[in-house]
Amino acid sequence: MPERFLSWLKSAAGITILLTIFLAAYATIDRGPYILVNTAITGGMLALVAIGLALLLGVMNVASFVHGEYFMIGTLAAYYVFTPLNAYLTENPNPFLTNLAPLIAILSAAVVGAAAGALTEVLVFAPMRRRSRENWVMNSFLLTVGLAVVLINAHLLIFGADFKGIVRYWPGRPFTIMDVFISRDRFFAFLISIVVIIAFWLFMKMTRTGRAIRAVSQDETGSLMVGINLTGILIFTMALGCSLAAVAGASLLFLYPSYPTVGLEALYMAWFIVILVGLGNIIGALTGGFMVALLKVLTVEYIGSGWDFVVPTALIIIVLIFKPSGIFGSEVRGALEK
Amino acid sequence: MLLEVKQLNAGHGFLQILWDVSIQIDVGEYVCIVGPNGAGKSTTLKTIAGLINPISGQVLFKGEPIDGIGGHKVTRKGIAFTSEEMNLFTNMSVQENLLMGAYILDDKALIKRRMTYVYEFFPRLAERRSQLAGTMSGGERKMLAIGRALMSDPDLLLVDEPSFGLAPQLTTTVFESLDKLVQEGLTILLVEQNVTKTLAVTDRGYVLENGRITLKGKSSELACDPHVRKVFLGV
Repeated sequence: MPERFLSWLKSAAGITILLTIFLAAYATIDRGPYILVNTAITGGMLALVAIGLALLLGVMNVASFVHGEYFMIGTLAAYYVFTPLNAYLTENPNPFLTNLAPLIAILSAAVVGAAAGALTEVLVFAPMRRRSRENWVMNSFLLTVGLAVVLINAHLLIFGADFKGIVRYWPGRPFTIMDVFISRDRFFAFLISIVVIIAFWLFMKMTRTGRAIRAVSQDETGSLMVGINLTGILIFTMALGCSLAAVAGASLLFLYPSYPTVGLEALYMAWFIVILVGLGNIIGALTGGFMVALLKVLTVEYIGSGWDFVVPTALIIIVLIFKPSGIFGSEVRGALEK
Repeated sequence: MLLEVKQLNAGHGFLQILWDVSIQIDVGEYVCIVGPNGAGKSTTLKTIAGLINPISGQVLFKGEPIDGIGGHKVTRKGIAFTSEEMNLFTNMSVQENLLMGAYILDDKALIKRRMTYVYEFFPRLAERRSQLAGTMSGGERKMLAIGRALMSDPDLLLVDEPSFGLAPQLTTTVFESLDKLVQEGLTILLVEQNVTKTLAVTDRGYVLENGRITLKGKSSELACDPHVRKVFLGV
């Protein structure tokens, strides 16, 4: 075991993780613990979006550029559920419901996101798959770009271009951890991302359906041979991936009000992560989420807030030059363990 | 009649490979399809397993038509398929691969019984239960592929080229395990290039050439047939 651990440390993944921990520790000592707190909150949410993206890549072989729009759908659903609930609660105060209302909003966003994902698979990808699987990666990619344009403009047409935001989810004084004030909304957003990630992990490892999703990502013919209903698994995977993005969008509604292109930043960040760690790798997407978050936080802290897209992009170019399969990448195929 | 293939025409895309192939298999029989490379042996098995939709013709299993219903439903009817490429889940452990083999079973106790059975049948797999399938040797992977197929408690086992890419000694081991399965009452349809060995162990055989069945009969008689001897055995 120690030998295996040592050789892992020497791999690209090990070096990067060590470097990340070192950087985080240095910045925390240099500037204060709020760096860690900010990284954790941003990282959790980035990881949610990136995991969904990695899932679609690993299982369905779809390079999705419409993933940010499910983030947008999440913000929209949460806004239209939370606002009337909140208005009702202002008139009839009820402390228990006040704490529950945000969860109801986020949960309904998850459901709406899943439904949108399932519909996309049934109405868009399934017909194309039936037609031909030739040139699938390119065709499905173009399809997602088109779908993104359609969804953004549908938002514009139906809900308008104005910002649909909320002041806060959870009322009350901020928490204090390590001398840092954390608003309740940020704290709960982090908590939700951790809970969802753990639940997702257990689902993929422990349940029959989770195993079936991993099986499809490793060998499609093999999964047909053992009796897995491919159509059902593909619909379910799409719903799951989109639901994760919607949860992230809904949990961050207090930061990002809902507007047509709100999902673009989430999409770009998720793609940074997925390219950085290797396509379709879920464990990598999880760690990568926190790495990119740290990178963003440090860039804003040391260089300036205008640069937080430049530094990750530059890093991706370097990664693509020196290790095109991503820092966690390898030849083995599979959504959960690459 | 367990399996009845009637006048099957099938192929890949526009390319037709099988022409009017008919095969009958009774319960408990050990039947083989032999033929030269590219004759359509694998295509026949894939069509029976539901991975290829036939152009015309019928596949009846226990009297029910199963052609065109989809690969996953064929497995549920009781046909297990071990392909030439094996199609294992390379990044899952042996144990997980076997669990996937029992995907169609709902009864937890039955899954456990099948697991014990497969581990007793291939003790080698039990030693490697937590190893990733992709890191095992060719022979072990072949065992795992057969083991995974057995997990679903099938009535008919389709085996494609079990000797493909294996050392002669391992081939013998795999053939012996298939023999043992037949003795335990399983029905097997075997496709093989190794004609001598196959005709020596099976009960009946079909000879497939250029997508058509050219000969059929008892394996021992086929082995003595002048045409077979000339084409396959080179004598």
